Amino acid sequence: MTLRKYPGDLLLLGLFLLPVVVVAPALPWGSQGWLYSLAELAGVFALSAFLLAGMLSARVPGMDPWFGGLVRLWTIHRWLGFSAFMLVMVHALLLALATLPMSLGTSVATLFPPLSHWEVWVGWAAFLTMLVFIAPTLGFIGTLHYQNWKRLHLLSAPALVLALVHTMMLSATAWVWWLLSALALAAIAWRKLLSPRLARQPYVVDGIDQLARDVVELRLRPKGKGIRWQAGQFVYLTPMDSSLVAGYREEHPYTIASGSRDDELKIGIKAVGDATRALLDIKPGAEVRIEGPYGTFFENAALAQKGDSLPGEPRKQLWLAGGIGITPFVSGARDRVGNGAVQAPDTCLFYLANRPERAYYLDELVRIAEACDGFEVHTHYMNEHGVITRDYLAERCPDFAEWDIYLCGPPGMINHLQTLLRQEGVPAHRIHTEAFDFL
Amino acid sequence: MTSNRIAYTGFVAFVSVVLTLVVVNLVQGNPEPTAGGTAENADGESVFRLDDVAEHNHAGSCWKVINGVVYDLTEYLPNHPTEEEVFTRWCGKEATSAWLDKGNGRPHSPRAAARLEDYRIGVLEGGAPAPAPVETADSATQPATGDDRLGRMLLGLAPGNYLDGTYRGNFIDRGLIQVSLQFRLEGGRIKGMSYRHLFYRDEDYLKMDSSAELYPVLRQYQQITERLEGEPMEAIFRLYEPENVVDDIDGYTGATLRGAKVISAFRDGLNRGVYSW
Repeated sequence: MTLRKYPGDLLLLGLFLLPVVVVAPALPWGSQGWLYSLAELAGVFALSAFLLAGMLSARVPGMDPWFGGLVRLWTIHRWLGFSAFMLVMVHALLLALATLPMSLGTSVATLFPPLSHWEVWVGWAAFLTMLVFIAPTLGFIGTLHYQNWKRLHLLSAPALVLALVHTMMLSATAWVWWLLSALALAAIAWRKLLSPRLARQPYVVDGIDQLARDVVELRLRPKGKGIRWQAGQFVYLTPMDSSLVAGYREEHPYTIASGSRDDELKIGIKAVGDATRALLDIKPGAEVRIEGPYGTFFENAALAQKGDSLPGEPRKQLWLAGGIGITPFVSGARDRVGNGAVQAPDTCLFYLANRPERAYYLDELVRIAEACDGFEVHTHYMNEHGVITRDYLAERCPDFAEWDIYLCGPPGMINHLQTLLRQEGVPAHRIHTEAFDFL
Repeated sequence: MTSNRIAYTGFVAFVSVVLTLVVVNLVQGNPEPTAGGTAENADGESVFRLDDVAEHNHAGSCWKVINGVVYDLTEYLPNHPTEEEVFTRWCGKEATSAWLDKGNGRPHSPRAAARLEDYRIGVLEGGAPAPAPVETADSATQPATGDDRLGRMLLGLAPGNYLDGTYRGNFIDRGLIQVSLQFRLEGGRIKGMSYRHLFYRDEDYLKMDSSAELYPVLRQYQQITERLEGEPMEAIFRLYEPENVVDDIDGYTGATLRGAKVISAFRDGLNRGVYSW
């Protein structure tokens, strides 16, 4: 996640701090109350983070660029969930500590009071519910099947309600919680109830091109208006074909491979799990639903089109792709073909693959490079050359360290390249990567 | 991911700490509940621990333990005659010593003891068995309090017909009027008692500014009129022990007040007969 600031960040920060600002002055900060007040504050922060995480799960198409793209949004969501979980434990421990000077019995009774103090027990129920759905997310018990994980994550809604009841019963300032919880529950309702009906667009599979043994490109035709997209964005695709072995009605994110002006929506798919493997066998004519687009991979390109670019020549671009990570660059390259006269920055694409057979899309990319000035394609085969080095890059693009650099590929490749680029002195804000392997 | 390890470590630490708290509490064999102090003794009275009382250690909620009995004195606080701090420093504490010695070596009055009982909310766990309300314990030695038989007897020694009406009387000593007062009798009860003159050692109390050193004594004189309002006329003899009638104010104890002068002026008024109808 880059440290770049986005307009949405200010909104998030405001919403996050609002309850604290409202609640904190009313707490008993006096000589003996400060620890207790701190405990309450931890609880307030925890619920704020929890509610904010809920709001961010809305995933409304078109809104994610405010926050630097959907991947960054999910990263923030994950950090908020993590913080809420940690802060809830701090909340309980500080409460126990604050009452410990009175006696151990009082301290334990603060955490586990008689059942008549049911609002405290509702708090415990909220924590345990949270524990159930967050434990697999935080890797406490290994990893779950994606769809099971997703279903389990829905427990966040009841956990949220329990946490709210717990807080409302004990808080004097309810309005601020009503406000935030309305936003959070609306977001969850949108995502789980409304968006499947309202935001998913029906498409029909027009054709399937086999690119490799385990890689296909789906060509999709909209049944209705369809969606508009930018190069490098991705969509959530839900197959509506019940004859599939797996993944029927399950949504997964895939990168768009077609240029932004193409009529067809093309999607590059590599079999990595049950659902993606089953999708390789989908038949022409089958219906799928598309929600999106999301992401801001070529964010600078998008900004440049709005006339918001840096003064002077647009900075040259170095594209580094590995495996199915070639897809956003295919989209970017196809964009140039349709683009005609519109100037695009000089670009150098390195296609990193193990061996030539695994370099799918390469023929088309080479054709585009021959047709377009200022677009070069180079390959790097691991089996032939070993791990890619700075010299390998510099021989072909001598001043690459001055360029904007875009990375997409498997985590090992990204890590290796980021280390290499940092050693070359490339600042983080010029390295763009958007890995959605955890979405 | 690092955050996963932090979360897991934090969770394990959290569970460990909570379990430790619970287990140590169990091992200590602390069957007692709870900050709520919901236990009751055989008399059906709430039993509190000093821990429970200690939570109510401020003006907003002020509990005190006196002779093993727990009192919630929050509502009494504004009525206490001293500076608030003198009162609140004992909140949440065992305050028997302060009860028995107001700071001048004297205990609170039986009158105060009687009022105290209104605020009783329970007893202290393991404390001395709560004594019967202090009032009855003291009443044997303090017959003048709330028992006006002595007063009736004294009036009986100097009988007269005291008609309803307005009376005026004086206490004169060493050639000077020290107390001059007026009151009405209605059905044998004192009404509208007021001072027309209060003078002692070159001090004219009625013209005294509220910042004057002796002003608290004037307040005590005024308390006499407030607290005898509507009382039967023999209640005047309670003033032989004025500490049973008035509060201590700013270090001036009721015991230093010369209640006898007021009695004398009152009886002077009775002897003179009705001043006006």
